[in-house]
Amino acid sequence: MSANLRALQQRMAQAVLDPRAPRPADILGDARAGADERLDVYRHGYRLRLAEALRVEFPGLARLAGEAAFARLLAAYVEAHPSGHYNIRWHGDGLPAFLERAPPWRRRPALAAMARLDWALSTAFDAADEPALARAELAAVPGDAWPALRLELQQALQVLPLAHNLEAIRRAADLGEAPPRLRRRRAERALLAWRQAHAVHYRLLDADEAVALAAAMRGEPFAQLCERLATLHAPASAAPRMVALLQAWLDGGLIRGWRIADG
Amino acid sequence: MPTPVSSPRLPALGFGLGLRVEHYEALLERPAGVDWLEIVSENYLVPGGLPLRWLERFRERYPLVMHGVSLSIGSTDPLDEGYLDRLHALARHVQPAWISDHLCWTGVEGVNLHDLMPLPYTEEALAHVVERVRRVQDRLGRRILLENVSSYVAFAGAQLSEWEFLAAVAERADCLILLDLNNVYVSARNHGFAPLDYLDGIPAARVQQFHLAGHEPGERLLIDTHDAPVADPVWALYVEAVRRYGAVSTMIERDDHIPPLPTLLDELAHARALAASVLREAA
Ligand SMILES: [Fe+2]
Repeated sequence: MSANLRALQQRMAQAVLDPRAPRPADILGDARAGADERLDVYRHGYRLRLAEALRVEFPGLARLAGEAAFARLLAAYVEAHPSGHYNIRWHGDGLPAFLERAPPWRRRPALAAMARLDWALSTAFDAADEPALARAELAAVPGDAWPALRLELQQALQVLPLAHNLEAIRRAADLGEAPPRLRRRRAERALLAWRQAHAVHYRLLDADEAVALAAAMRGEPFAQLCERLATLHAPASAAPRMVALLQAWLDGGLIRGWRIADG
Repeated sequence: MPTPVSSPRLPALGFGLGLRVEHYEALLERPAGVDWLEIVSENYLVPGGLPLRWLERFRERYPLVMHGVSLSIGSTDPLDEGYLDRLHALARHVQPAWISDHLCWTGVEGVNLHDLMPLPYTEEALAHVVERVRRVQDRLGRRILLENVSSYVAFAGAQLSEWEFLAAVAERADCLILLDLNNVYVSARNHGFAPLDYLDGIPAARVQQFHLAGHEPGERLLIDTHDAPVADPVWALYVEAVRRYGAVSTMIERDDHIPPLPTLLDELAHARALAASVLREAA
């Protein structure tokens, strides 16, 4: 049907994506500008546009890597990965995995981890709207139903393991302040990223909260969450701690609903 | 070639602006002189969150039109059904006065070049585009507008000029035209044609909307950046366009280096005054 058109589009796309690909012979040059100069507008524009779109999505990574390295890393990613999504922002989806795999960046695992953190916040921003459970709704649950109660958490909620102080670097980027030095933690910490109403939030989790939240995300019943906390606390303090966590989750809008289910 | 007896043009909306995040707050106040807003469809084709919340506010306050960049009407890849579904759903919600995209292709073989790539102006490409426009219009249940793009390359084997191609697409597919006068000017300079020949070749009855924008000055190739005030030659072209097509909905389109809103309001007021004087003169 449109065989000539298709072949021309394939040659043009190839020439834009790969600067070493031959210039399609059907591009006309004239006295105003030669064919190469004309093709270069598209080659240059493609790289510029993708890099600019990604730059906005990864402010933490920009701080961590530094301007020059960030530009090099984005350029390498754009060169290695053509975009497949109509929304240019969504090309950021593959950057964390690229940094994990590709030399030389894979030698600095904090870069990929920071890219994951940035991307989690970016996707939370326009994730689907979800209801947030009010305290009163949970208070209405009869006491004997609590052991089998399962919390339904926000779909957009993400927990990321952080070996470094990446949240502090991202925070500095958000506030426009000088970032702290990158520091490796003695023990990994979990970072929670979520959205409340229309605002995206992130914070570090204490070890016990990380355990309880992970269990809740797996759909374990309330009694089991309490048991998990009991292994980490003195017998008298496990229950009040669970109540405090539950309130913090409700206040943060992390819980969208609940159900009672056996097994 | 079917020539409609009456003009397919929809009622004009007056003078509008492209909605940009930088002006969200200021535009909520409904400043005088902004009759309508054009949204970039892709910015609101998201699952939820703040963008859709803002959209609700503007939907209550202004007539809206939807302007997309991803239709890729000229591509030889299949139409993106998922994109069309989402676009249609957004249109059902927004109830825009009209929906537009560009006469171009944006990718092939699943790759998106995120650019408005020019087509070769051949009968083959024409037939291809016409058939796809018809399918999109059937799908959306309305005529769409196609916008002329700025271009930097031309291809060997052209059988039509750019304006003949645009006019033929509009007539044969029975769609409308969004004429970006900056793009006409930029392409005219880059390819060495006369912008007035372009305007003369466009069927007036199908011109639904104008874009006015700025570009980067250049010695050789003019680069369309949509990041500068409307240039004098583009204002001159606007006067010529109003002479030919009458009171067409007009919009200032700024995509980068977004100035404070009053700067754009001044440009929009200038457009309004120019159009009024041309129409007075003609009356
Ligand atoms: Fe435009």
